[in-house]
Amino acid sequence: MKLLSLQERLGLVSYRNQAKSEIKPHITVETDICNSTCPHKCTTYVCPANCYTMDDQGKVHFQVEDCIECGTCMYACDQGAVSWEFPDPEIGRGVTWNYG
Amino acid sequence: MDEKFDCIIVGAGVAGLAAAMVLARSNMKFLLIERGEFAGSKNVSGGVLWGHDLAKLVPDYWEEKEAGWERFINHRRLTFMDEESTFSLDFKSSHFNEPPYSGVVVLRSKFDRWLADKVQDAIDASDYAMDSFIATNILVDQIIMKDDKAVGIKTGEDEFFADSVIIAEGVNNLLTRQVGLQTQYVPADHMLTGIKEIIRFDQKELEDRFQLNGLSGMSNEFVGWATDGVEGGGFLYTNRDTISLGLVLGIKDMREKNKSPHDVLNHFKSHPAIADIIRGGEIVEYTAHVVSSGDKRAMPKELYKDGVLLAGESANLLMNAGKAIQGMDYAMRSGILAAETIVKAKEKNDFTSATLSGYRKALDDSYVMKDINGFQDAVHLLHTPTMQHDVPNLICDFGRQFFTIKNEPTPKSKDMLRGAIKRHSSYWDLIKLGAKGAKAL
Repeated sequence: MKLLSLQERLGLVSYRNQAKSEIKPHITVETDICNSTCPHKCTTYVCPANCYTMDDQGKVHFQVEDCIECGTCMYACDQGAVSWEFPDPEIGRGVTWNYG
Repeated sequence: MDEKFDCIIVGAGVAGLAAAMVLARSNMKFLLIERGEFAGSKNVSGGVLWGHDLAKLVPDYWEEKEAGWERFINHRRLTFMDEESTFSLDFKSSHFNEPPYSGVVVLRSKFDRWLADKVQDAIDASDYAMDSFIATNILVDQIIMKDDKAVGIKTGEDEFFADSVIIAEGVNNLLTRQVGLQTQYVPADHMLTGIKEIIRFDQKELEDRFQLNGLSGMSNEFVGWATDGVEGGGFLYTNRDTISLGLVLGIKDMREKNKSPHDVLNHFKSHPAIADIIRGGEIVEYTAHVVSSGDKRAMPKELYKDGVLLAGESANLLMNAGKAIQGMDYAMRSGILAAETIVKAKEKNDFTSATLSGYRKALDDSYVMKDINGFQDAVHLLHTPTMQHDVPNLICDFGRQFFTIKNEPTPKSKDMLRGAIKRHSSYWDLIKLGAKGAKAL
């Protein structure tokens, strides 16, 4: 069986409010902490939806759109950079599982 | 709705729905709040629901044609894995064919939704058919506390009041932290990420491939190479026309070993034995969710306080002691016991912790805490490098020699075993493991 890329995997996920251009993020990340004192920047590899990325300069960036609400980053970040909530059903992104 | 409820339940997962069912049947006025579009829409599990508690909530559930569960388990397999081999303990028995089954495979988006319909039926049959509700699409922002006692919930501008609140919000237990039952920051030490693919087959093809008969099913856990050196394990469960294939991976270990869960999942799937199993399947969903390890150190400091109870994964009630990954059965039983405690509190009209502490006692007396307490050593043992790497490698090494026939004089099995032990571990390590294992299990 062909192994899927993460992008292909995320393509199988149903998100809420997909048509909305403006959504309220349910996770906020102080990337200043990631980019100054964090020794591991682990969110850039432990997030199962790759919401945290690292650019060519080694800077961490975050986008909430692909988030599948698993909670991994909330536990993985031990530097106090991640503030975690659940998405608002009306104006948040969030996930709706078809199988779960 | 300015009237006060007897109870507000936050979260329509297995724990919340079980609690709601008991409350409905006990003629209580309650509100069950779910943030997803429908019960189950936000929920993920491996997953097998073990034990008989489902039959307590939905008697004769197995007789329904379109029930929410997928298959009953009559075939268990535990597989040790190295780079090129698998060596399994395999047990299949018609002993498990009779309902109520010892375990059923579920897909939560379907199962929880079905169970919620059953709860609605129970509400409709109760005295509060018009006053108790399952409300979806509502996010609870806050538990309203008055003099450190929970008296309701706040959602946006709206407030709902109740004599009691059952928090069944799941492992990402923000409300649990808010009411002070768990610290705001929970470290990654005893938390894992579950990651899973749903892979679809033609149903007949699936049944032939796994030797399934009717609605029988198989559960398979994997130890060793599957996790690419990360603490954790793999699983495979058969659904009606799909399989659930995935891993649970220690978050702290991934952080320290610089591993991505989706890469490790591809690593697992590339194993020749797994590749053979999934060939020709179509991936239809990719999911992930945090789970707790079953280490008691991850549990909240208490499971109740004035006006509030914790049930299911919001209390980190989950355990893998090597025999099965249990969590949904704990959620179901804890939801039932929480609701029964609320019913008693209503009779006494006392919702303070003096009465609600009965929940802790009931849970301690149940198999849930007895098992969690009794198998802590096994949980710790399972997460040691010896169990995670050395033992699977040793077993597969021995297996390869044992099953190799070369038309040369064959060494005795005990010599093969001695060699395998030497290559992957030591007698001393195994003696320690055996002694600990005998005590732990």
